[in-house]
Amino acid sequence: MPDGEYDRLETLLKNLPGMAYRCLNLKHWPMDFVSDGCYELCGYHRHEIESQQVLWGDFTHPDMIDEVDRVVRSAADRQGAFEVEYRIITRDGAEKWVWERGRVVDYREDGVAVLEGFITDINNRALAEAASRRAEAYAQAIVDTAIEAVITVDEQGAMESFNQAACDMFGYRPEEIAGQHFRRLVGTRFYSDLDRYFQQNRAPFRGPPRGIELDGCDRDNRYFPVALSIRRIPESEDGKYVILIRDLTEQRRAEKVVREQRDLLAHVDRLNTLGEMAAGMAHEINQPLTAISMYAQSGLQFLQREQPDLEKLGEALAKLSQQAHRAGAVIERMQEMTRPHQSRRESVDPAQLLCGIRELAEVEARLHKFAIQLRMADTLPPVHCDPVQIQQVILNLLRNGMESMRAANCGAGSRIVLEATWGKRKVRIAIVDSGLGIRPEHQSLLYQPFASTKESGMGLGLAISRSIIGAHGGRLEYVNNPGGGATFSFDLDLSGDE
Amino acid sequence: MSDPEPQLVHVVDDDEAVRDAIGMLLDAAGLPHRCYDSADEFFAAYGVEQRGCLVLDVRMPGMSGLELQEKLREVDAALPILFITGHGDVPMAVEAMRRGAFDFLRKPIDEATFVERIREALDRESSDWRYKVDQRELNQRLASLTEREHEVFRRVATGVANKAIAAELGISERTVEVHRAQVMKKLAARTLAQLVRIHLLLELPLPR
Repeated sequence: MPDGEYDRLETLLKNLPGMAYRCLNLKHWPMDFVSDGCYELCGYHRHEIESQQVLWGDFTHPDMIDEVDRVVRSAADRQGAFEVEYRIITRDGAEKWVWERGRVVDYREDGVAVLEGFITDINNRALAEAASRRAEAYAQAIVDTAIEAVITVDEQGAMESFNQAACDMFGYRPEEIAGQHFRRLVGTRFYSDLDRYFQQNRAPFRGPPRGIELDGCDRDNRYFPVALSIRRIPESEDGKYVILIRDLTEQRRAEKVVREQRDLLAHVDRLNTLGEMAAGMAHEINQPLTAISMYAQSGLQFLQREQPDLEKLGEALAKLSQQAHRAGAVIERMQEMTRPHQSRRESVDPAQLLCGIRELAEVEARLHKFAIQLRMADTLPPVHCDPVQIQQVILNLLRNGMESMRAANCGAGSRIVLEATWGKRKVRIAIVDSGLGIRPEHQSLLYQPFASTKESGMGLGLAISRSIIGAHGGRLEYVNNPGGGATFSFDLDLSGDE
Repeated sequence: MSDPEPQLVHVVDDDEAVRDAIGMLLDAAGLPHRCYDSADEFFAAYGVEQRGCLVLDVRMPGMSGLELQEKLREVDAALPILFITGHGDVPMAVEAMRRGAFDFLRKPIDEATFVERIREALDRESSDWRYKVDQRELNQRLASLTEREHEVFRRVATGVANKAIAAELGISERTVEVHRAQVMKKLAARTLAQLVRIHLLLELPLPR
């Protein structure tokens, strides 16, 4: 090789991002030539390697040396080239990924192959690839262990993958469902809903997932409630979507149990309330009974006169009948509150609701000589609610308010206000008392069952009231009035809005 | 003396039906009555000259039955009060009776008993009223006696002989007789026995 040419080669080798070598295919590959890049690659100087104080095999990671040896040996046998990626341990103990390409250039007399090649640092690339592989494995593990059905579909909605949960949920094997439209997984009557939902969620979207609830349909055409959400897979150029489906059967069952328990507790609370109101109720029935008895007696007297006064008798009987109806109405109202009832929502006129419960609460108000003032807009739109439960809440709040007013020594004729206003698609019901207000130290206990500040009472009223309002999609709120007392309020949805 | 006011049954009850029914019952029994829907209304209309009795509901908005009883006591009203209540409130009944209620009846009321008790209350009020009138007249007559006549009256009525009176007061027996005749005339007593009775009615202290 002419000198000039050699210099150029030397320069080239020096500037290579790696190390060129020549070695024998013996154990640990003793090298007789390496380029300067060796120092940067493994931390040893040329003379240390070329004098064979250290051997390349000493740096090769013990976990990988057999693999590298296998690749090189096979190339030597074929007299060909090889390419291998592996880890080395550098002089300072760090691990590093390298890529090596080499080939057999000659054979020594004893048959040992002479190899030449190039080794370069691929540590960054290798790490990135490893991270990517880990992320993929991680994602796959999530998909495999998810309780939700995870399904991927293409632009047309044809299913491509179907995880284990999806198989369990719908009873299909991945291979028998692949390529079918995912509509197949829901009840036929939900097709149009689902198509609309798919259309709306085609664009890449980063916010919280917006799902829909519908009935899933399994392989045996059994329906079950599910929540389904679709999201476009980010950076999928050909338009891939991931669909998540959660089986709501258990949740619905649990909700039903909670609802039933709430209804039962509400019923117990109504019985309890009416028990506490028994004295007032007895009075309320006693009044018409007293009148009835007197009208009857008067009637008898008018009849037994020498000249029976039939006109007066007629008047007595008419009034008697009126009072009998009055007593009946009290009992009817009581029965409405105590009859166990399946909670049901209906369209209710708020005015009727409020007037009805005010009558019942007045039983109590009369005992304490308080007045219940009803403040309502002239016309209120119908609301969607369970009238018995909402009346129960109002009765609880009115009774609490009056209790507080009694504790505050409010005088005879003091007023408690029952108010209904509307706007923003809601009717707001408020109960404004002039009692003690809610003391800060009682605020945390306010809605806790069985925590009562009153001497009598189970302490269930507010807890149940809040739960009833919560089940109606509202919130039972309170605020202390600037002029004393507290205001409790809640909203009811207008009917037709549900 | 002016003509006495007629006796009326005053009915105070906040429950319109009960009030009306009591009214009809009293009508049927031929008892005149007047109804009020609150204790305040009755008290505003009340005057000492009013006669009769009071049928009063215990619990009412505004002034309660017991509060009205207290106020009437303060103005020395003599109307017997029949309380009626829808509540079997024993302590309240005891309290009302202790303060001199005529009776305490529970609703629903036995009508025969009710009317009977009202009649008894009216009788009681009647005799109380007559007693009061008598008392007032007697007091007026007593006031017309001179001091000396007074001294003689008290001694005669408690059985002191004329001679002893004369000695005690240091006047002649004859003068005692003149005073005694004057006393009999002024107090409208025809016999000694009547004089003694008047003395008892007036509940005058015994002479020292």
